Amino acid sequence: MKEVLRFDNVSMHYHSKQGETVAAQGLNFSVTEGEFVAIIGPSGCGKTTLLSLAAGLLQPTEGKVISNGCSFGYMLQKDELFPWRTIEKNIFLPLEIKKKNTPAQRERALMLAEKYGLGQFLKNYPSSLSGGMRQRAALIRTLAVDPSVLLLDEPFSALDYQTRLSVCDDVYKIIRSEKKTALLITHDISEAISVADRILVLSRRPARVVSSHTLSFPENEPLKRRENKEFSKWFELLWKELNA
Amino acid sequence: MKNERPYSKEHLLYLRNTRKKNILINVARITILLVFLLIWELSATLEWVNPFITSSPSRIVTAIVDLYKNGTLFYHVGTTLWETLAGFALAVLLGYGIALLLWWSEAVRRITEPYFVVLNALPKIALGPLIIIWCGTGSKAIVFMTILIGLIVAILNMLNGFMATDQSKLLLLRSMGASKLQILTKLVIPSSMPNFISMLKINVGMAWIGSIMGEYIVSKAGIGYLIVYGGQVFKLDLVMSAVFILCLLAAAMYALVALVEKLVIKNDK
Repeated sequence: MKEVLRFDNVSMHYHSKQGETVAAQGLNFSVTEGEFVAIIGPSGCGKTTLLSLAAGLLQPTEGKVISNGCSFGYMLQKDELFPWRTIEKNIFLPLEIKKKNTPAQRERALMLAEKYGLGQFLKNYPSSLSGGMRQRAALIRTLAVDPSVLLLDEPFSALDYQTRLSVCDDVYKIIRSEKKTALLITHDISEAISVADRILVLSRRPARVVSSHTLSFPENEPLKRRENKEFSKWFELLWKELNA
Repeated sequence: MKNERPYSKEHLLYLRNTRKKNILINVARITILLVFLLIWELSATLEWVNPFITSSPSRIVTAIVDLYKNGTLFYHVGTTLWETLAGFALAVLLGYGIALLLWWSEAVRRITEPYFVVLNALPKIALGPLIIIWCGTGSKAIVFMTILIGLIVAILNMLNGFMATDQSKLLLLRSMGASKLQILTKLVIPSSMPNFISMLKINVGMAWIGSIMGEYIVSKAGIGYLIVYGGQVFKLDLVMSAVFILCLLAAAMYALVALVEKLVIKNDK
């Protein structure tokens, strides 16, 4: 399998008047093609910094972030759909930004929307959709430019628990069926266990990788995984590591 | 939610009550106006007060008809209206443009900040004599005054709107690789539309202050001129008529902005 993203001894320092903050120190890990990697860590350990580094929005103070010519799609905590655009226009947004707003590309994006049940909402404004549907629209928007790696920054944390479980299931299935590589950042241990092929545990600030676990479950759908006996064992293990 | 079934009895009752309440409120509004006008008129005709000083509704009507008959009504109204609209439009356009520039460049924003603070606090009327010397005694001076009064408010309001752009949405666009110009056109300008509307509303008021004050300082025509002139020759009917016309015009202009708001912000509910 091809390696798509690698953090090579990455350190990140922030500067402010109050002083210097070391957000990450000596981060080393890699993600291979088609993998679903979840990163968990205590809150405030610099998880979002890590995604910004991966997406190239930040440059590391030391070390290197190597992405092998792959493109990134970023999904945030809230859907961040623009309320003045229809769902369709929201989905076209990355096409406009990347100057790929051609009929063929638009057609592809619309096919995705149709395939994942947004067809009837295309002409609606986001305010008329439920939280779950909005997050699905946000995912289709992310997929519209066909990125090779999805960066998910706690994408379900703004939803209520019920919606969260079903949207998580939903998003997982879509990402799998589109065969995308995904890097999920979360503080929710059970969410990480329910979706990931591999889980990386981060330490408190400055963040570094404490451990890496490869998960295997007989069934891979998030809701099925949650029912499996292994689930609670993993939970216990990861919980201990997080609070060490 | 659309309801396909016919409304229930309770809902019909609720609708009827709401409508009744609205009608009552409108009736009360009109009644207050009519009672006020009636008392004013009565106290003037029965000479409870001196109508020479307080004027009266019928005297105002006569004064306006006189203005109309000698052909100067539309001349005065037109002059002030033109000055106000020109000053308003220029203040809004310039203000928007300068606010964009300030948003674009943090350096310019930080360097100019103290100047804007001082200019905002300065009573622009203090510049009156200077404006007369610079722009002469015609409409140009009054338009200039109107722009001065509206401009700083427009700049600061719009800049506030631009700077309040949602950080997560900015991050989203940056993660898509958006350029600064794209961020401006796709996000900052549309998301600051409510600020634009509220800036328009504030500036309607500012424009009238500017044009009337400008006419107080220097003018040969206009509603402000009528008020000053009427005051000087003690024709208070004329002063009251001018104020009444001003009320109508200001209300009409505000209603126009409210209409623009309805057209622009229809999606954001």
